[in-house]
Amino acid sequence: MSDATIPSKSIELRVLRYRPASDREPVLVSYRVAYSDDMSVLQALQSIKDTQDGSLSFRWSCRMAVCGSCGMMINGEPKLACNTFVRDLAPDAVIIEPLQNFPIERDLVVTVGDFVKKIESIYPYIIPKVAKPVEDGAHLQTPAQMAAYESFSDCINCMLCYAACPQFGANPDFIGPGAMALLQRYNGDSRDGGRQFRLDQIHGEDGVWACTAVGICSEVCPKQVDPANAVNQNKTNSALDFFLHYVQPRSQP
Amino acid sequence: MSERRPFHRPQPRHWWAHKPYLAYTVRELSGVAVAVYGAILLAGLICLWRGPEAYAVYRRILSSDAAFAVHLVLLAAMLWHVLTWFQILPKTMPKLILRGRPVPQRQVTAIALLVAMVCSAALLVVVVAIGVTS
Ligand code: SF4
Ligand code: FES
Repeated sequence: MSDATIPSKSIELRVLRYRPASDREPVLVSYRVAYSDDMSVLQALQSIKDTQDGSLSFRWSCRMAVCGSCGMMINGEPKLACNTFVRDLAPDAVIIEPLQNFPIERDLVVTVGDFVKKIESIYPYIIPKVAKPVEDGAHLQTPAQMAAYESFSDCINCMLCYAACPQFGANPDFIGPGAMALLQRYNGDSRDGGRQFRLDQIHGEDGVWACTAVGICSEVCPKQVDPANAVNQNKTNSALDFFLHYVQPRSQP
Repeated sequence: MSERRPFHRPQPRHWWAHKPYLAYTVRELSGVAVAVYGAILLAGLICLWRGPEAYAVYRRILSSDAAFAVHLVLLAAMLWHVLTWFQILPKTMPKLILRGRPVPQRQVTAIALLVAMVCSAALLVVVVAIGVTS
């Protein structure tokens, strides 16, 4: 074991806890954890759960910034706990809260149901432009065509962008940055023909127009997806579509 | 039995006054400065339309120290608005793909800013030229 992995220092974590059966409202609870230089905030929470209080609840899975489960507010900023190192926060006490703008289920676990519904609402799959039987081979795409949507396909649904969005904080029905990134991932794909169905979902005040281009969503995104770009380029698309819909007939998928 | 009792935490009331949102708030406020400057110009046009006396009053007000100070503040706010406006520009358009790669957003901002500066300078030259020859 190298020196970096032997816990030699300790840090205070103040975790916002909420146990619905006994707490009227969330309370900060303080823990002291020994840490090593390679320890993430997620590991620090796991060490609390293993050695101090087994009832502490939080989500995680991959431990490598891929699954998007471990989003939480760390010193007021939305972060992935597995991607944030204790050494960068020490020596001061660290405040850990559940993601802002979401209802708290328990401790650091928030309600994700509405977010999943938003993702489902924008047809998150390719609707082929032209039907092509499997025996005719793959739908081909050039590198330039792929570059047009690639960053949007990197979204891991971590919801950090929602926690950073004051418009989502004010209106929980706002479709929000993450779902718009996914929408653009498909609308920007040269093989896709479902653009119209998706645009129909994002007109109006709960759609793209709730956005005032605050832009912090793109800054907090751990995958450089740039959801602000997805939302704002679709304001133009939504406006154009509004005028076009007077001259074009519509169908449903 | 379900223990579910989701707790709704309100968003901090003064979120716009704190980092990292403060830059956004200042940007939006600089838009107000642009509107104020537009109103000042409009007032000048109205005075011009009402006759030479009204326009002389307008010019007298504009040549005061207070008006000068206000214009300095408005100029600063306007420059900030221009800069931030072009910083948002690449967010509002589809990704530009050149030779199979997306053009970096900073580059889009830089080029747009350059074009805006050249146009402003050209306009200034035209205005000064008209002023000198008439
Ligand atoms: S856009 Fe970025 S911040 Fe938002 S859900 Fe996707 S990966 Fe997370
Ligand atoms: S545990 Fe998967 S992203 Fe952090």
